[in-house]
Amino acid sequence: MPKVLSRNEQEISTEDDVVVFRRKVRALAQQRGFDPFATAALTTAASELARNVLVHAARGLGVLEEVNDGRRSGLRLELRDEGPGIVDVERALAGGFSTAHSLGLGLSGSRRLVDDFQLESTVGVGTVVTVVKWARF
Amino acid sequence: MPVVNFMTRLALDETEIASRRAFFEITAEDLARLEALRPLAEAHSVEVIDALYELFLGHPESRAFFPDATTVNRVKKLQRQYFLGLFSGVVDIRYVEDRLRVGAAHERIGLSPKWYIGAYSRYLRLLFDRIFTAVPTAEAQAAYRSAVKLVAFDMALAIDTYIAANIDTVARHQAAIRELSTPVIRVYHRVLLLPLIGTIDSQRAEQIMEMLLLRVSEEQARVVLVDIAGVAVVDTKVADHLLKTTEAVRLLGAETILTGISPQVARTIVQLGVDISAMHTRSRLADGIEFALGLVGRVIAEARTP
Amino acid sequence: MTRGSIPILRVGSNLIVSVQRDLHDAIAEAFQEDLLVTIEKDGATGLLIDISALDMVDSYVARVLADTGRMAKLMGTETVIVGMRPEVAATLVRMGYTMAGVRTALNVDEGLIVLARRGRK
Repeated sequence: MPKVLSRNEQEISTEDDVVVFRRKVRALAQQRGFDPFATAALTTAASELARNVLVHAARGLGVLEEVNDGRRSGLRLELRDEGPGIVDVERALAGGFSTAHSLGLGLSGSRRLVDDFQLESTVGVGTVVTVVKWARF
Repeated sequence: MPVVNFMTRLALDETEIASRRAFFEITAEDLARLEALRPLAEAHSVEVIDALYELFLGHPESRAFFPDATTVNRVKKLQRQYFLGLFSGVVDIRYVEDRLRVGAAHERIGLSPKWYIGAYSRYLRLLFDRIFTAVPTAEAQAAYRSAVKLVAFDMALAIDTYIAANIDTVARHQAAIRELSTPVIRVYHRVLLLPLIGTIDSQRAEQIMEMLLLRVSEEQARVVLVDIAGVAVVDTKVADHLLKTTEAVRLLGAETILTGISPQVARTIVQLGVDISAMHTRSRLADGIEFALGLVGRVIAEARTP
Repeated sequence: MTRGSIPILRVGSNLIVSVQRDLHDAIAEAFQEDLLVTIEKDGATGLLIDISALDMVDSYVARVLADTGRMAKLMGTETVIVGMRPEVAATLVRMGYTMAGVRTALNVDEGLIVLARRGRK
């Protein structure tokens, strides 16, 4: 379990919230020395995941944390909601892009942009997506 | 590296510091005992620091790191603060930051850990002598034991400083190696060439793509030649990386030409069923260059003999 | 001329629009609407979308851009997207979003050349 050095959480219930969350992630990534590619990757993942919360659950929580596991430091994002949950997690993660189900690309795409990806979802209860991007040397 | 980066790199927050205090068995009593000795410490500080640096300056190899009076005076000043810090009565974030600052200063001038940490040995002896001279034995023993705990705590921090600085150096070297192993050459105005050599694993493939995209953007290159004659193995993964890179380059508005495709590679790619029809490909680099020039409106023509 | 929140520039029979800010929901719709209305009004044959100011393009924005291109095509207008940043391109391909079928060029000048070439067909 990595140590948490700082934590910031906010509500995600409007388009503006998604923008604010995304900007926070970008700012912190740049501050922590992530190069433009890593910054863009994490910011995009943040946008995808926050947007998922908005689209599928209408509201949720966006958490941004600085973490350190003793050897390396990184940023962790947690997006949690009390929405309908994901019926077929396997399929959602297998992704590919479909116009009807924007959730598909959001999840599988984000997964490829980060180092660690964790998804917990229970139908009728909610979903928690946790991703980590470690600072690269 | 600034102190604040050391703190982050080493994850030194209140929790970590408290955990270390516990492990080094530093109690409030230890700190109080040392704080009580502060007047004594202040009285002897200059003398102790001078004696400490006698060690550095008296040994030919370590003296080289203190080339002039300015350097010596600067570190002595820091060292005095350091010394008095042992008798401050607190071991908190400020204390740790100060320790790291001193460590960083010595690391910066290139002083090896062996010199720096070896000096702790003299530190302890200097403390021992002064404490046992000035204070009754029982009290001195207790105070010395407390001092040893704190010096050990500090040594751990000093070692951490060197490790953190080392990690930084390795990172910079790795960045340099990355640049050297992705030599993008400008063969003509807005035509770039990247000769790939060796194995292309996922990590290297990502670096190659990023490097290439940066150069295309910088130079507003319209064509990129990627020569794979020197690539050891071309399998589905490598072909996939090349396709991804080609697509990314296309998104920027440039075209990619893959050259150096040997008969074996051509056979492998088709047999694997990889579809690289989206890419321009050529067997010989020369053909690729000619094609690239054509894309930017240039033609290679016979020179007219005089 | 300027309508909505993103200014549309006209150069010959081409329209040039420079996306300066986040293209989300309401703005995206207005963006598309403005462009299509202008294409009809001016009879533009080419559309150049400059995204050099965008430091992030997620799947939503990518879709908006691709859809805009498709809508313009239905109205007989060719679209070229220019100025994509390296980190944006890298992120899109990593996600697996190819934006296939969308024409691209390095910058506005190149984009206009591409449109001119198509126009000659």
